[in-house]
Amino acid sequence: MTLRVSTQEVALLRHFTVRALRQRFEGTLTGLGWAVAQPLVMLAVYSLMFVTVLQARLPPAVDLAFVPFLAVGLWPWTAFAESLVQGTTSIQDNAALLSKVALPRAVLVLSRVAAAFALHGLGFLLILMALAAFGQPLKWQGVPLALGIFALMGIAAAGLALALAAIQVFVRDLAQVTGQLLTAWFFLTPIFYAREMLPARFQPLLDANPMTAFVEALRWSLFGVGTPSMGWLALLWFPLAALAIGAFVFRRLSRHFEDFL
Amino acid sequence: MTAALDTAPVLVRMHEVGKDYPQVARPSDRLRAMARLLRNAPHRDPITVLDGVSLEIRPGESLGVIGENGAGKSTLLKILSGVLAPTRGTVHVGASIGALLELGAGFNPELSGRDNIEMAGPLMGFSARELAARMDEIVEFADIGRWIEEPVKHYSSGMVVRLGFALVAARRPQLLITDEVLAVGDEAFQRKCIRWIEEYLAGGGTLMLVSHSMFHVQKLCRRALWLDHGRQRGYGEVYEVTQQYLAFQERRIAAQEETATVTRSGQEFEVRDLALNGATQQTALSIEAGSALELRIDVRSRDGRIPALAIGIVRADGTAVYGFTSTMDAALPHRLDTDTWQFLVRFDALPLLPGGYLARAHAMDSEELRLFDTMERGFAVRGSTRELGMVRLSHEWLTGA
Repeated sequence: MTLRVSTQEVALLRHFTVRALRQRFEGTLTGLGWAVAQPLVMLAVYSLMFVTVLQARLPPAVDLAFVPFLAVGLWPWTAFAESLVQGTTSIQDNAALLSKVALPRAVLVLSRVAAAFALHGLGFLLILMALAAFGQPLKWQGVPLALGIFALMGIAAAGLALALAAIQVFVRDLAQVTGQLLTAWFFLTPIFYAREMLPARFQPLLDANPMTAFVEALRWSLFGVGTPSMGWLALLWFPLAALAIGAFVFRRLSRHFEDFL
Repeated sequence: MTAALDTAPVLVRMHEVGKDYPQVARPSDRLRAMARLLRNAPHRDPITVLDGVSLEIRPGESLGVIGENGAGKSTLLKILSGVLAPTRGTVHVGASIGALLELGAGFNPELSGRDNIEMAGPLMGFSARELAARMDEIVEFADIGRWIEEPVKHYSSGMVVRLGFALVAARRPQLLITDEVLAVGDEAFQRKCIRWIEEYLAGGGTLMLVSHSMFHVQKLCRRALWLDHGRQRGYGEVYEVTQQYLAFQERRIAAQEETATVTRSGQEFEVRDLALNGATQQTALSIEAGSALELRIDVRSRDGRIPALAIGIVRADGTAVYGFTSTMDAALPHRLDTDTWQFLVRFDALPLLPGGYLARAHAMDSEELRLFDTMERGFAVRGSTRELGMVRLSHEWLTGA
């Protein structure tokens, strides 16, 4: 995969992203309205569940209510996880198209990642607005930074999705495994809990998981909780490493997709 | 004409292109194959489906690809259209390619025809503005009425093809690739398609046609490529290649059927030699349609009796074309030495149509009661006619000039 990107590739990427988004909502009565309603409904469900029923509380060290704490980690994670799940099968799902039409194959993977991040990015912004409307103080100047972190997460997802999609063509079991691994990864990432809630000796282990940095950096940029640490270098190395690996694997294998699809 | 073509830029150049498929019987083979590819190592025990194919296509020069099923024709097209990556060799494509192979392949069944045209735009290489300008033209060409607003999943296969063809037609690619001339859709639409292809060719378009119909290939193409088991058996002027191919097929069919020929029974008379236009070597003689053919047959007679001779001309697949004997014409051989006799017979302006043929000589006793020995030699008739059949029957049109 060259880094030169032609206008045709950009047009195709947009085409397939729009197509992925459309496919999700077509046939539904409300269309894009559902994309707006869903995050707000989920937010209402979470606050009812965790605050009213489970009475979830964060440790005093974290000066934040539970729902904004959760929401800021959960939406970006959903975009990330969905990108990987949908990206893994993106080449296989388009086998019929690929055997007939010559097109840059990476576009099929990247469009699914782009669609997931566009959709949940919109949801993320809606959530922030809803939280602000309900009186949650928000560092608005941190929003561009948060979006930057969100975008870096997208790059990481794109790299991993490229590798997964290419391997899935050869090893069909991967799609099953990806879902399981993502569930495990979700609970290893401090989304539902704060670092401070772990026993002290386990806390540094969280830094081995690059996604910790993303979730914590998002909370820091929007709510000013937590302090930046060396672990946050993952914000840079993880997307770069993922993209390098993804590009390498995809480039080596994509020439041979047709032989194995 | 050819001089002008030779200097024109090449639209497509393939050099020694080959394609191997890996053997993947078990899932673990796939994992192993992936590991090899990641290390940039070649497949192990590959199946070669295409090898050593070189061709050039210049603007306005149409190429027909012929060969039996499984000869690698569709693999070649897939490599050319960029769907498949070749294992060996280089492919240079300097043209926009429109493929009439899988019409409607990129359509989304849930969306309406009109939405699909919009969505297919980038796949076909249209910019948004170009597409908007051509939209009406495409809808009109497809001619499916109000269905254009319905989801494609409700379309008949004919309607999908119409829409797909309309898109390709609007694109006007520099190189058009097509399979058998469209066999889908109703007759009126087929005529529309063929008319469009003819206009496209007349307007300087370039065509690559894969077909089993030599008639279509000869009608639409100037050059032909013959693939046999993934290898290039012939490449060049269309009549030359199609005739080689037909002759080969006929010979192959004849070999399979293995007609029971009487050979050397008793050997009272033996055909020693059969020369066509003086040539006796094993490679088949090739003559121009309408030129002369001379047969020289030497027959050995064991006890010095004068032999008789039957001559048959058959097509390479064994179909009889014409047969006669020396006694019918009261023709006699001349004596070469004590026991060898020579017959000479000449066809002026042989009316055979291009193709592969066999000349057979059968030695008989002078009473024409028994057939003793047979010898046959193949020959090819060249020519660039589109007449059908085996023999030109002289005719005259009584209407018009």
